[in-house]
Amino acid sequence: MGQADFTYDFRSMNLLQQDPSQLLDNSDFVSQSILAMDADWAAQRLGEIRTLMERSSLYRRALAPTATLTGIIGMAAGVIGWTLPVKTSSGFCLYWMVTGILSLLVSILMIRRQAWKDNERFWSPPTRRFIQAICPALFAGACLGVIGTLHPQVSESYLWNLPALWMMFYGCALFSAGFFMPRGIKLFGSIYVLCGCISMFHFTTEALNQTLPRIVHAHIVMGSSFGILHFFYGVYLYLTDHH
Amino acid sequence: MKTETFSQINKVIHEKGRMAIMSTLAANPEMSFKELKESLGMTDGNVSVHIRTLQQAGYVIVSKTFVNNRPHTSYRMTDQGLQAFNEYIDLLEEIVRLNRDNQ
Repeated sequence: MGQADFTYDFRSMNLLQQDPSQLLDNSDFVSQSILAMDADWAAQRLGEIRTLMERSSLYRRALAPTATLTGIIGMAAGVIGWTLPVKTSSGFCLYWMVTGILSLLVSILMIRRQAWKDNERFWSPPTRRFIQAICPALFAGACLGVIGTLHPQVSESYLWNLPALWMMFYGCALFSAGFFMPRGIKLFGSIYVLCGCISMFHFTTEALNQTLPRIVHAHIVMGSSFGILHFFYGVYLYLTDHH
Repeated sequence: MKTETFSQINKVIHEKGRMAIMSTLAANPEMSFKELKESLGMTDGNVSVHIRTLQQAGYVIVSKTFVNNRPHTSYRMTDQGLQAFNEYIDLLEEIVRLNRDNQ
């Protein structure tokens, strides 16, 4: 785009002093040409803005497929864990940590592929900020999982609180990432924190009443929270993508 | 769309460099001087001059802090800036739409 494109003054256009609704009726060949020229320029400028915003943000176009696929992995893991069944405490922790790592790897690969397709850098400043924002909370969540894996003798109530705590930590990670990402990530994170709090309250009450369900049902809690929420967030992103 | 709005394109945002900064800040709530410079491939002087103009217009807030005993400057778009940027985009879209209707 040449320099002239950026110095164009709309006030110099006589046709713009008129009501745009009457523009077509009153216009002659010249005014229509000017309008067409400026429409080209405006479309180009809109394209530039879109490209700049997409490049500087964290591969928003990859968010919808990533969230949807993570949701599918989560739901599948919930059903598999429940049917197999993975019922020891260390097995439960290990199983869900492996699922989490698998989801993370799939997400990174998809985002990397999107960056490669768009001829953009993967390790860009927004990506760096995003990773820095999610790391502390994810690390804390991972530590809880490692404790559960290494100590098979942990109580049942610890295991039942684990999904709730993971939801809270994951929600906090997403909320932090929301400072660098648009499109409702903060709200998505808040929903996780809220779900975590509700689960914690519910399962603590159940533990106190000694009415906790068998540990195998915790897979359903994990699958429905991490699977279904991600899946619906991905669908929401698909539906609102044109914005 | 009113004729007055149509004829008054925002000259502050209209400049190519400032439009690039505004677009980047619209997508990222906060960016440091270095990040902005790297993302846009602009020189230090260019970023400073354009940021000053945007700051004077009330579109950008500049925060100066110290990180590891080093000065750290970060930029954020204000609500006024976001509104102006949205209006600028609306205007461009209106021009495109008007032309499409005429064809």
